[in-house]
Amino acid sequence: MADVTLRTAPLDKARVLQWLQTYGVYAGVAVLLIVNVVVTPYFLSAENFRTQAVQVAPVIIVALGMALVIGTEGVDLSVGAVMALSASVTALYLGYGLLPALLVVALFAAVVGLANGALVALVGVQPIVATLALMVGGRGLALVLLPQLEDLRNPSLASLGSGDVLGVPYLILFAAVLALLVAFVVRRTTFGRQLLAVGDSRPAAQLAGLPVRRVLIVVYVVSALLAATAGVLATARLQASDPTSLGNLMELSAITAVVVGGTPLTGGRVNIAGTVAGAVLIQLLTATLIKHDLPPSWTQIAQAVVIVAAVYAARGRGKR
Amino acid sequence: MQRSTHRRRLLARPTVVSLAAAVALTATSCAKSEDDASSATTSSGAAADAEQKVASPEPGGKTCTIDAYGAEKLDLKNATVGFSQSEKEANQFRIAETQSIRDEARRRGVKLLTANAQSQFSKQISDVQDLLAKGADLLVIAPLNSDGWDPVLKAAAAKKVPIVTIDRKINATACKDYVSFIGSDFVEQGRRAADQMIEATGGKGEVAILLGAAGNNVTTERTKGFKDRIAEKAPDLKVVFEQTGDFAREKGQQVTEQLIQSKPGIKGIYAENDEMGLGAVAALKGAGKKPGDVEIVTVDGTRNAVQGIVDGWISGVIESNPRFGPLAFQTLETFTQGEEVAQDIVIEDGAYDEANAQSDIGKAY
Repeated sequence: MADVTLRTAPLDKARVLQWLQTYGVYAGVAVLLIVNVVVTPYFLSAENFRTQAVQVAPVIIVALGMALVIGTEGVDLSVGAVMALSASVTALYLGYGLLPALLVVALFAAVVGLANGALVALVGVQPIVATLALMVGGRGLALVLLPQLEDLRNPSLASLGSGDVLGVPYLILFAAVLALLVAFVVRRTTFGRQLLAVGDSRPAAQLAGLPVRRVLIVVYVVSALLAATAGVLATARLQASDPTSLGNLMELSAITAVVVGGTPLTGGRVNIAGTVAGAVLIQLLTATLIKHDLPPSWTQIAQAVVIVAAVYAARGRGKR
Repeated sequence: MQRSTHRRRLLARPTVVSLAAAVALTATSCAKSEDDASSATTSSGAAADAEQKVASPEPGGKTCTIDAYGAEKLDLKNATVGFSQSEKEANQFRIAETQSIRDEARRRGVKLLTANAQSQFSKQISDVQDLLAKGADLLVIAPLNSDGWDPVLKAAAAKKVPIVTIDRKINATACKDYVSFIGSDFVEQGRRAADQMIEATGGKGEVAILLGAAGNNVTTERTKGFKDRIAEKAPDLKVVFEQTGDFAREKGQQVTEQLIQSKPGIKGIYAENDEMGLGAVAALKGAGKKPGDVEIVTVDGTRNAVQGIVDGWISGVIESNPRFGPLAFQTLETFTQGEEVAQDIVIEDGAYDEANAQSDIGKAY
């Protein structure tokens, strides 16, 4: 009996790590849910789940784009700045009505995404440096366009932020539909295959005749468009455009969600369900600590622990 | 990995820069925001009667004269005043503060040089050194930090340039390194917010605090004053929740959403600035609450928050008056004429509640 355990031990460890990498994030979400049901008063209410879902929706939307970029072995640091930019542009063009304003927002986001993609794919700048430039420049531009918070009273914008369909808020619907769409693109389309191939090995993809540059540019444009969507939704929810603080540190939240969700930073693999769960995990963690009135510094420490655990699990997988 | 020629890289940069410039230009040229017509706000017209008043010209307070400081008398009218702002003018307080200094300089016909440190302390140090190099005879500084001013103070002392600091203090010797400090008493603001909260809630029940950014003296002092006064005057009022909203509206909204979910019986929310208070209002609206269900008390006195009182969502706003211009120039004038000025000039802040919100909204910034 003892003999058997001894012999299987190392194999079990690898298996546990692999299991953790794939399902750890879901286990984490489950554990947090159970703990909260037991210790947090009023946790089991529809209103509470609605609040958590509404708060996490923008993070999920940004993280979807981030997952695609990370799948190409890149990273997009400019997502927070794009959110701020979309808030400014929404406020500036809302006079023409909601739809025209949203079109202009999309235009701005596409330009930022194109700039990111062009720097990475055509000029050959490292993604972290290219998107860092637009992270700084994008927020700068947002503040030039709208130097201070502005209240918005457009009724269609307000209903976008707080309205619902059959009790499900638009924000949650948007996040769910986009998650399904991105998951479909990654799994079932040629573009998704090409994206993963580029992330796996760019030279190999190039040699195989894949449109590497086009794929990269499209990925960064999609990431910027998703970030802009999140920015507009957050602005709609706040009913105010606040380019100074909207999207601050969003790039880190998004990267955390992606990494915790089991997508390796080395590219070639994208886990969309895991990314959504990763965002939910961080949201539940923050909510738990806030609801129990623990010091804010604890939230940061708890997040760090989760990230380290996720990276540890990923390391185990890499060695295999 | 990806091979790219040198020329391409050189070409890319100007392209990106000119692209950004073009975008910024076109974006502003045909923009149309919701209320373009009514955007003529923050002018000084209504601000006139909201001028700062000194709260504590205590007779025993320490004073400073030009002889003790070691500078030379001069006529303020012919002098150049340098103003160094700490944070970018992205919030109402900073906008009103800079505007007030500019307005007063224009009113008095004094030449004013301004600089903005964009929330970077190293930039503020070099800003002030620039102002000195450009020939400022007098300095008004809104410090970003309290420490680290030695290089500037030395440079100013060498040129015998008097310094007045506003809204935050610097850690140095008054009347030696700088002349006076003009500012609000943040602990007192906290105490007065507590008074309003006690009145609004009847001194019983559970209240929450939306803290400002961590590690900021404004946050710690506004918290201390509030808690001390609650403990002293209304022991039945319990602070059951303290979370940071980072002085931002969105964070205030998110934290309040969690709060009203986990503690539905909460009676009051003390927000350490108006923005977080307005975020709390947004959260309450989103949760289907009615005005008055939860009493909100905030600090700052921006127009939006005072409007919140008129609408019934906010119970009280303690003012933190940003209009330092008149008092700062008055202090400099008195000082440069050789008369004595107080080293610590604490200003009197107003307050808004249901009684005066409607009539005094013009004073809000």
